[in-house]
Amino acid sequence: MVKRVVYQCVLAGLLLQARAYGQGQNSTDLERRIAELEEKMRLVDPEFGRESRASNLARRLELLEKKMAEVLEARRPEVETRALPSPPTGAPPVLAVAQPVPPVQPAGPALLPVSVTGDYQGSPGGETRLPVAGYMDFHFNKDAGEPFRPDFHRFVLLFGHSFSDRIKFWSELEVEHALVEGGEESGEVALEQAYLDFLIKPAFNLRAGMMLTPVGIVNERHEPPSFNGVERPFVETVIIPTTWRELGFGFTGDLGRGFRYRTYLTSSLDASRFNAETGITGGRSAGFDASFRNPAKVARLEYAGVRRMTLGASVYSGHSGYNMPGVNPRVTMAELDGRYSFGRLDLRGLFANTWVSQAGELNWRLEQNTGVNPNVARQMRGYYFEPGIHVLPRRTRNDVILFTRYEKYNTQHRMPDGYAPLPQFNRSSWVAGVTYKPNADVAIKFDYVFNRNASAVVRAINGINLGIGWWF
Amino acid sequence: MKFLGLVLLLAPAVAQEQTVRKPDRVISIVAERFTFNPSKITVKQGELIEFVLTSDDTDHGFRIPSAGIEVAIPQSSKGEARVRFIAKEQGTFTFECSRPCGAGHNLMRGTITVKRGL
Repeated sequence: MVKRVVYQCVLAGLLLQARAYGQGQNSTDLERRIAELEEKMRLVDPEFGRESRASNLARRLELLEKKMAEVLEARRPEVETRALPSPPTGAPPVLAVAQPVPPVQPAGPALLPVSVTGDYQGSPGGETRLPVAGYMDFHFNKDAGEPFRPDFHRFVLLFGHSFSDRIKFWSELEVEHALVEGGEESGEVALEQAYLDFLIKPAFNLRAGMMLTPVGIVNERHEPPSFNGVERPFVETVIIPTTWRELGFGFTGDLGRGFRYRTYLTSSLDASRFNAETGITGGRSAGFDASFRNPAKVARLEYAGVRRMTLGASVYSGHSGYNMPGVNPRVTMAELDGRYSFGRLDLRGLFANTWVSQAGELNWRLEQNTGVNPNVARQMRGYYFEPGIHVLPRRTRNDVILFTRYEKYNTQHRMPDGYAPLPQFNRSSWVAGVTYKPNADVAIKFDYVFNRNASAVVRAINGINLGIGWWF
Repeated sequence: MKFLGLVLLLAPAVAQEQTVRKPDRVISIVAERFTFNPSKITVKQGELIEFVLTSDDTDHGFRIPSAGIEVAIPQSSKGEARVRFIAKEQGTFTFECSRPCGAGHNLMRGTITVKRGL
């Protein structure tokens, strides 16, 4: 009770003192009264003022005010409900208005909430939030000399669930090309992700299930509004086989200072499905008929310590011969990528190189089995660079990005002894286009693709693409 | 008793002042799939902290489970959210994205470390 009265006396004294100070009272009188208040404050906290002895009156008053704030905070649950009444239920969303947070727990949280404000209220623009997330991709593709082909390329739903603050589930279920029928070449239903995260420490967490292989930019962030161009980059299709997912488990973490990592043991690629045109892409198990006899190792390190810049490096290594008796090629991939935004300019680039050991034996064995030599290379290489510029000012609600992308990708970069490269698979592309975003989660895209290859016989075909993609 | 009455009268106004007084530290946090930048934040015990939260892409959420704070971060160019709190006790506290935002959502997390002195 005595302590409470002392609190109140100090508070009242400080308020009156502050007012007097503001009105320019005599400084000697002011100093005396501040000294008295400091003495009173020391009754509350004997340590007050011992660490630093400020000589400046304004500084001493400031220290008193700060201490007073701390004392008040200790009593806050009692006073705040009076200070910040709740808004009426069902009131329309209001922007930039302070809202009281829910009453604190009796014991008092270690981080004491004071207020939350901002442009966040409700669902702006009438948008409805669903308990699932998802993205969709609707394309019109046209190769030179061919008519436009509409294609509802992807319909993807994502579901997550938190069993607790430390155990979380995430999944992604995809329907490709709109229709799936038994025995016909139409679409596909695919489980792209389904894993559990066991969150142990920021720097060390466990993940297990069907996971995206952490290589490249697009494989783990393939929501349509997050990249330019109707179709994903060629390099991230034939050199890095997006969407690349495998079964396995591994560790993830945030190392601080902008560094984070993911490292997994996963099911391996199937070399029996490698070929000259798409390299290792066909060898993804995608969780079906997978093998863990020789699990692959994959690791990615990312640096995002500078705003608007992300640098990444990935390494993948694993044997791939579980369907190939007598030959067990090791696939190794090294990849570097970066994204950077400077003002209204976006830059992104990627380089990837893949090595396939025993490629000669693999080709011979596949020819024995199927009668066709797949001409799998011992090295495949690809890279791309993409500048894009936002033509509207940053605060504008709409966004228009003009971009161009140069890609070079060769699935016959180095051949095993006795094999000649097929020049039509030494390819390059210029992709030029525009992405219009009426909303950050809705992208209307158009691009023109100039394709080239090194062959004097097989002509590369240019194409036009128009697409709408959205995320919710 | 008049004196005490005056104090009680003024107390709510002082508490209100907590929400309008200048924070000891203002920290800008940018959310982007699938990271907060910065993701490790160290503050001094007793400070009034204000987080200014913006997004570089889609809508995200910001939740500090131990403080009962949860706020939506508007998507790019649609504004910001501000969270104020007082770091009362020392320790390390997790914050996380509370709105599903893609494949890395579960790991879109960070920590606030409260220390006695910096």
